[in-house]
Amino acid sequence: MLDRSSLGKTSSPTLNEVERGAIRRFAESLGDGNPVYFDADYARASGLPNVVAPPTFPLSFHTGSDLREALGVPLRSLINAECVFEYERPICAGDRLLVTSKVAEVSERPGATGKVEVAVLEDEGRDEEGRLVYRMKRTLVVRGTRENG
Amino acid sequence: MPPRKLYFENVRVGDEIPAMAKAPVDRVQLARYAGATGDFHPLHVDEAFAKTLGMPSVYAPSPLGQGFLGQLITDWARGAQIKKFSTKFIRLIWPGDTLVCKGRVSDRHGENGKYAIELDVWAENQKGELVLKGNTTLSVFYSSEDENRQKAGQPPVVVNVPRENILERAAEPPKKSAPKPAKPAKPAKPGKPAKAQKPAKAATKPKPAKPKPAPKKKKR
Repeated sequence: MLDRSSLGKTSSPTLNEVERGAIRRFAESLGDGNPVYFDADYARASGLPNVVAPPTFPLSFHTGSDLREALGVPLRSLINAECVFEYERPICAGDRLLVTSKVAEVSERPGATGKVEVAVLEDEGRDEEGRLVYRMKRTLVVRGTRENG
Repeated sequence: MPPRKLYFENVRVGDEIPAMAKAPVDRVQLARYAGATGDFHPLHVDEAFAKTLGMPSVYAPSPLGQGFLGQLITDWARGAQIKKFSTKFIRLIWPGDTLVCKGRVSDRHGENGKYAIELDVWAENQKGELVLKGNTTLSVFYSSEDENRQKAGQPPVVVNVPRENILERAAEPPKKSAPKPAKPAKPAKPGKPAKAQKPAKAATKPKPAKPKPAPKKKKR
């Protein structure tokens, strides 16, 4: 059972410095050879200030604490159901982002075979002036409460 | 090689993105991805641990598959900016799985010099099963002229293009989900009759408006 009292828990803002090497390794781990992730000149010719992070790169950011661990169930019983990214601008090497994470929802939703336990985590990253750069919303389902678990 | 770019004027609703076949997922990739994300959950990297939980083997964190869809999108939409990217995870990804990522333009619209393209994207495994599906919204320039103008600090090219797929839906019986194998609707070539079943197209094949003096000078 998900711990309802985890709702609203928020991690403290944690500084993430976006490094070129981290971007390169992330792209390599996906097998993505787009030069916009490796080659700063190519990235600039594409209108970007520096090598850019792949769209799912914010998954690698530190959020202070991993709030999946605050949900009251073992990590292994949580399944990713959905992940949504929203960007105000591209994330580039050299960015310094303050990232926070929040438990935005803990609930039961109707599923095909009965109720499904669901938690939603919302992360956001802001620049040092406080401007929003991205949001990431992850919907997690508790294994065993969904048939294809 | 200068980067090739995607412009709004070259995209039509129904256009298909070239499918992208990924190499089979293997345990080395899972280890690399764990290192790249900093998430070393043993379910994804420790075979013995995964088996004690009754799994046949380790399996991939689902967002790895979203990363593949991200590659599909950014490969096709060079020069575009991703504004939103969502993915639903339907099936687990196992070592040995070979994913093919596909996509189609589901909508496009433009207002006040801002242009957006929307895509449906999805990935299938070697058995033809749907593994992930999602969509994305991209921000693009109307044309290279638009890009050059804006980079020179001039107002954007303004062409108002209403959402197309709403028009299409109105003209079609309602159909849900399951990406349908639509024919890519290429821009009609001169001398080629426009597709009769796509009446929305004609109304939305805009010519760049004459650069009107925009109310505010926006430089970005």
